[in-house]
Amino acid sequence: MKLPRWSTLIVIVLLLAFPMVVPSDYYRHIFIIALMWVVIGSAWNLLAGYTGQVSFGHAIFFGSGAYTAGLCASKLGISAWWGMLLGGPVALLVGLVIGWICFRLRGPYFALATIAIGEIFRLVATDWRSLTEGMEGILIIQTFRSKIPYYYLALFLAGASVYAIHRIMQSKWGYYFVAIREDQDAAEAMGISAFRYKSLSLMVSSFFTGLAGTLYMNYMAFIDPHVVFSLHDVSIMAILVAIIGGVGTLWGPPAGAFIMVLLQETFRSAFFGLFPPWVSESHVLVFGLLVIFVIRYMANGIVGDWPKIQRLWTRKNPMLPANDGN
Amino acid sequence: MQSNNHEWRNDMRRLAVVLTVFFLALALTWTPAQAEETIKVGIILPLTGGQAAFGEIEKNSFEMALEEINAAGGINGKKLEFLFEDDTGKPEVARSAAEKLINKDKVVMLGGGYGSSETFAISGVAQQNSLPFLVNTGSADKITEQNWDYVFRLNQAVSEYPTGLESFLTEVVKPQTAAILFEDSAFGSGGAKSFQETCDRMGIKVVLSEGYSKGGMDFKPLLVKVKQANPDLVYMISYVMDAALLMTQSMELRIMPKAFIGGGAGFTLPEFAKNAGKAAEMVFSATLWYQTLPYPGAMEYYEKFVKKFNKETEYHGAEAYAAAYVMADTLKRAKSLQAKDVREALAATDIKTVFGPVKFISYDKKINQNKLPTYLVQWSGGKLELVWPKEVASKPYVFPIDWEKVWK
Repeated sequence: MKLPRWSTLIVIVLLLAFPMVVPSDYYRHIFIIALMWVVIGSAWNLLAGYTGQVSFGHAIFFGSGAYTAGLCASKLGISAWWGMLLGGPVALLVGLVIGWICFRLRGPYFALATIAIGEIFRLVATDWRSLTEGMEGILIIQTFRSKIPYYYLALFLAGASVYAIHRIMQSKWGYYFVAIREDQDAAEAMGISAFRYKSLSLMVSSFFTGLAGTLYMNYMAFIDPHVVFSLHDVSIMAILVAIIGGVGTLWGPPAGAFIMVLLQETFRSAFFGLFPPWVSESHVLVFGLLVIFVIRYMANGIVGDWPKIQRLWTRKNPMLPANDGN
Repeated sequence: MQSNNHEWRNDMRRLAVVLTVFFLALALTWTPAQAEETIKVGIILPLTGGQAAFGEIEKNSFEMALEEINAAGGINGKKLEFLFEDDTGKPEVARSAAEKLINKDKVVMLGGGYGSSETFAISGVAQQNSLPFLVNTGSADKITEQNWDYVFRLNQAVSEYPTGLESFLTEVVKPQTAAILFEDSAFGSGGAKSFQETCDRMGIKVVLSEGYSKGGMDFKPLLVKVKQANPDLVYMISYVMDAALLMTQSMELRIMPKAFIGGGAGFTLPEFAKNAGKAAEMVFSATLWYQTLPYPGAMEYYEKFVKKFNKETEYHGAEAYAAAYVMADTLKRAKSLQAKDVREALAATDIKTVFGPVKFISYDKKINQNKLPTYLVQWSGGKLELVWPKEVASKPYVFPIDWEKVWK
């Protein structure tokens, strides 16, 4: 689905103005986290949504990026900001190796392999104490007291990743990716090297996820293996962000990232104190129900099923044929 | 497709109605508190997720203390209010919670901090915003080693957990060899490291030191290694379910060292004895607190908690309860409620609490750290008894232990 140009512009202007208009560091923090998830969700979507290679291991790249930045500070004694330059390429290399091994496998086997490799990375980072400090983690001091630099950096990364993916999907690569998703054998029969283009998709995806990891290290200033290599909190969250927003759509993961992060925080804080505290105690339950609801009624995600939602509000004739744009 | 669409729309409508009613009902049950002027303090704890059991004990203790403080006149006539936030066991959520409490709720100080990772995240926010933060459980040594002058810690650091049992080892157990099993968390590996150092200093040979992923279902492969190494002492750092499983399976494998010693955390919780059954018997554990210790109010706190919640409490609860009183004392003494004055008052704290005397000092690399001894407890007849040091023991220790008889 394509949004009209003016609404994209409005979103960009609103996001640029946000930290200036909203003075609260609390809301700025939530937006920084949401923007970070825009990067990860979009990156996951490139690989899984467009190329059809479902990954349950994006924590591998997130953690590789975060640890690259962390190790710059803890082992090399240079600023963790160098990690922003190194983290993306390191994650990309990790992606290259993983693709080289795993793209011999197809379908569910690739997904299973990513779970296994994710766990391997977590365990190695936990046990290789001389390098990673193990579970004691790496702690740095944040460079900026203000949230504004982090906000614009996160916004830049989010914008860059969405734009890059947009350009890729308009190029020859994009068509190859979709061809592989739709029918790998047919694509190969057309002369597309499935192995090469799946690897390229994975490399771009891991590059951006790694960048998000370096942002996390620099912003959160503390990492340990269970936080950045987490199956549940990173790999699965990346999938949820894309699914809620809409798999295989450009604006799905960005929308999903904001919805997930904002909703989680809204429920966790019991609607910012408007509702009784027990609402926040049941936030995990309510949140789970919501995810089930979206998956049940909007299988294409909120952006993917936008026409359905629009029809609901405008009460257009429901007998009109659906124009879901498959 | 058409009928599907229609159905879908009907479903959505029904759902919309249900949701609306649900939220209306929610809104109706909620009457906002009267706009009375209170002094707000933010408390961040894990209330959902894997560590929720500890978060619950601490929250109950904070609330119990709050009631007492307010019943006794509050803070110089004003009511004290605790705003609880759930960190869900994730550092970025802990950071959100801290940012919210500071920026939105305008709390005068922060408390809580359970997991070490989450405590780091909160500490960073507190330090950057120059708002005092009193840690009551997060125990990684590094937390008070960052020169963060707004971060204070009430509880002992994890490296100090085994200090209380050193003299017990030299005087009673006299082991030659030891095995260390620990969960691979900051708490676990930090505790293992410091116990390793203790052993090195005392000339005990560590024949096995191995970490495991917490929440394991089967520790037998690990325990078979322990059995082969046949150490005099098995030291374990685990949370409650792992602790219970480790002991149950040790019993099944008939591993019989001179002593099993737990490094606090899971080994002192009532759930440990409930889950491990007779495998919990005679197991020692390091602890930071016990209700019979000669601290004013310790026993009263314990009894009141048991009566109120129909559940036992242990050192985590005592930490929280004591932290509430330290905060109340700080706010009473503070020249104003400005962060700088509150920090100054907190730094000058010198009171006796149920958890022991509280005074923040600097030693080694740590600053703003309260220094307290640690103790040794033993499970005996399904009850946790304080056995070391002897002067404060609630019951004499049982040693040597005839495992055949205990596990019959």
